[in-house]
Amino acid sequence: MTLWSRVRSWSKAIFQRTRMESEMEAELRFHIETFADDLVRRGFSREEALRRARIEFGGIERVKEEGREARGAQLLNELMQDLRYGARILRKSPGFTAVAVLTLALGIGANTAIFSVVNAVLLSPLPYANADRLAMVKEILPNMSAEPFNVSGPDIAQIHKLNHVFEAVGGFRVWTYELSGKSEPQRVTADRITSNLFDVLGVQPLAGRVFAQQEEQFGHQVVILSYGLWQRQFGGQQNILGQTINLDRKPYTIVGVMPQSFVFPLPGMLQGVSADLWVPLGLSKEELADFGDNFSYSAVGRLKPGIQQGQVNADLQLVAQGVLETYKQWARDANEPLGDFRLGMVSTPLSDEVTGPLRPMLLLLLGAVAFVLLIACVNVANLLMMRSMGRRKEVAVRLAIGAGRFRLLRQFLAESMLLAFAGGGLGLALAVWFKDAMVARIPSNIPQFHAIELDGRVLLFSFLLVTVVGLAFSALPTLWASRTDFNPSLQESGRGNSQGPDHRRMRAIFVIVEVALSVMLLVGAGLLVRSFQRVLNINPGFRPEHILTASIDLPPDEYSRDERVTSFYKQLMDKLRETPGIAAAGGSTDLPLLGGWTHAFTVEGYQPPPGPALSLCNHSVIYGDYLQTMGIPLLYGRYFTEQDAPKSTHVLIVSESLAKKYWPGQDPLGKRLKWGPPESTDPWLTVVGVVGDVKQGPLETAADAHTYEPYAQLGVPFSLRIAVRGEGDPAGLTADVRAAVWSLDRQLALGSVRTMDQIISRSTASRRFVMTLLGSFAALALVLAAIGIYAVLAYSVTRRTHELGVRMALGARSADVLRLVLGHGLRVTAIGIALGVIGALGLTRFLQSLLYEVQPTDPATFAVVLLLMASVSFAASYLPARRAMRVDPMVALRYE
Amino acid sequence: MDKQLDLLQGTLDMLILKAVSLGPLHGYGILLRIQQISKDRLEIQQGSLYPALYRLEHQGWIASAWGESENNRKAKYYRLTAAGKRRLQAEAENWNRMADVIAGILGTKPEEV
Repeated sequence: MTLWSRVRSWSKAIFQRTRMESEMEAELRFHIETFADDLVRRGFSREEALRRARIEFGGIERVKEEGREARGAQLLNELMQDLRYGARILRKSPGFTAVAVLTLALGIGANTAIFSVVNAVLLSPLPYANADRLAMVKEILPNMSAEPFNVSGPDIAQIHKLNHVFEAVGGFRVWTYELSGKSEPQRVTADRITSNLFDVLGVQPLAGRVFAQQEEQFGHQVVILSYGLWQRQFGGQQNILGQTINLDRKPYTIVGVMPQSFVFPLPGMLQGVSADLWVPLGLSKEELADFGDNFSYSAVGRLKPGIQQGQVNADLQLVAQGVLETYKQWARDANEPLGDFRLGMVSTPLSDEVTGPLRPMLLLLLGAVAFVLLIACVNVANLLMMRSMGRRKEVAVRLAIGAGRFRLLRQFLAESMLLAFAGGGLGLALAVWFKDAMVARIPSNIPQFHAIELDGRVLLFSFLLVTVVGLAFSALPTLWASRTDFNPSLQESGRGNSQGPDHRRMRAIFVIVEVALSVMLLVGAGLLVRSFQRVLNINPGFRPEHILTASIDLPPDEYSRDERVTSFYKQLMDKLRETPGIAAAGGSTDLPLLGGWTHAFTVEGYQPPPGPALSLCNHSVIYGDYLQTMGIPLLYGRYFTEQDAPKSTHVLIVSESLAKKYWPGQDPLGKRLKWGPPESTDPWLTVVGVVGDVKQGPLETAADAHTYEPYAQLGVPFSLRIAVRGEGDPAGLTADVRAAVWSLDRQLALGSVRTMDQIISRSTASRRFVMTLLGSFAALALVLAAIGIYAVLAYSVTRRTHELGVRMALGARSADVLRLVLGHGLRVTAIGIALGVIGALGLTRFLQSLLYEVQPTDPATFAVVLLLMASVSFAASYLPARRAMRVDPMVALRYE
Repeated sequence: MDKQLDLLQGTLDMLILKAVSLGPLHGYGILLRIQQISKDRLEIQQGSLYPALYRLEHQGWIASAWGESENNRKAKYYRLTAAGKRRLQAEAENWNRMADVIAGILGTKPEEV
């Protein structure tokens, strides 16, 4: 017989049922009619001939039924039979079935849950039309940094005009507004966007329109709402278009509402949270003059058809040259020196910007759950093998009475598939729970532009996983069945110390594999835990406890006179200081850990080393007792005082690392620096104090040089991050701060109210997330491995009860027996640990990007894991060994 | 006419293979052919013919196609496949060996034991 003809016949039986039936009908009718023709020729009447032909033929329906069976439709029947038999077998050993199903469910559940995240974040396209055609354009200032910057505002239009590779280039700047008038004043996040941005992204408004091109010019007060704000603030009113809202106390006309699914910007595009509303970019005169400066705009382009992502950069070099020409023109017009200004441009696919940084982390987690599933499978395979030992007789009998090996294979397949699908079903239920638990803890830098859910693709993934697992399991017993000579099985009485060396070796391999995989997971988790501890122990440079922060942005029109701003902040600080429970208060342009402005500066008399690099530092302009409030320690000199007035010497406080770098071994007090390159005409600033280094970026990065300037000498701050230090839980001060602000301006909204502790924990959230997950997987692996070791040894003790009895009868002491069994267990796990360590040494370098101040080969981590695994193995081996020790020789010898 | 014999278990398949090995036939034709070459000494249950045909086709030993019959009706014709040819050969050899052995046994006389 050929396999092909069977498959064809089966598929016909299954998929072409009706056609098969009608053909059979026609064929049988032909038979009877031809038969009747013959009978007519022999002299019967037509009617009588047909009657006789039918009688002679026999029951047509029975023939059809038998025909169907012969045709392979019986495959389905047999399959059902196999499944029923398999289910009966599984029900008969509920303990085995429960453990196997639960183990598989854990493995498959964890895999499904992690895959659902990978699916939503890495595998799904960004939520824009043809998102793979979108790219971000960044600018490179080779004189300052090799890292690309975002773009300078006036350049967006230039890039759009000069390039030959993009259909269109749009851009935006992240902004915040005070939204007031209708209800409680609040701060909303906004994007100032070019009029073509939504076209570039390929999105349509839900209602109304996008901005017209002329609205992109300064002064057009129109706004497009996000779906969320429309619902939240306006209850989803239908007639919202044409109404006005107050942004910074100026009326803006609502011209559009975006659909619910529209999320913009995404993490990696300047800002991680989607905006509440969008207004036209409207660059002011000052902003237009900010060419080659202020790189806080983002540019996004849509590739022309036929252009590949990789082909963009060559054209962008020409664009950069063109932009530089316009800079030179502007500089000449403005009569400003441009100096040795160089400009490059680079483009990256938008999806790389957004999801690229998450790739290593998510792939790590996917790898880790794969390990867990592998361990779970090994455990179940081990259980199956033990059980198949018990079923050798059954198999032998079935082979002896004529079951084909193919038929047996199908039986095993049905059983394994049942097991796998039961595990998969329960696993899916677990996955729902895992996924919800995970989504609740997911850090904000993982974009959830697609809801993380068990969609079709995730289900397909789990289905394939389950199928592969089921196939693998059915392959195992068949492998043994086909290699085993079953005659001894029929003959032996059922006492099985005759288990072949093959099976013992197989079980040892199972344990080794489990232990090795667990060790690798444990080492990975251990390294992450140690990194996390190191990160938590990083000195941020300030004392975060008891500090509450908030941001205040004064609407520029309302506060157009400097005195009004000055008096607002002065009164606010006075009120805060007088509030009981507040010990200190101050403000700054930016808070630690949240990034900030980088300035280029020139130190008086300092000879920079050859090369193009400019001196760069973080720069904050501060107000009140900011440094004292933050607990940033003063090392030399003084803090700012009331004497630092507009007319007195312009002063500066610098960070320790800046002082050490530029004035090594000298007294930094009294030294001077100025903003810009050496040829800049900015005034000199005199250092009056040195404070400790503060982490301005993420905790893990080195503290950059930092400078502080007093607002008192600079003019007025429209925006300020304020900080107050209390005594107890700083969150309790929120009402006090709000009351103080509202006593001065009832319409003013307080933005981003957070404690410094919250800011710190947010900055470590993604690290904590990965660590928690990997740690859970490693713990799960450890438990599964312990169960595996225990099961193997316990089984082997049971099998060897007779042998152990003989040994004891011949004079072996219980200690000898203990040593025998324990020794066997520990030898096998030792090999597993050794292989695991080797594997870990090879794999942990892929963790490098997630580690902090811990080597991938950290000896302490390896030592702890080794010890942990060894003790768990010991415990798991000791229990069966002790049972072996207690074997009563008399009972054992009788044990059949 | 000799008395008709009931068909021995398992021999129908072989007879069908033999019948179609002489040329493509439809089901009724196979029936007639077997009766003809057995000189009407074999009785074949008409109803049992078709399940056997389907089984043989399922196993790939015969293949079928629709065609025009001698009485101008549409009929399904069966022909032997290459695998069926090998199968027929093997079965025939088997049968002959078995027949020899059985005949030998039945032919044994008391003095030969």
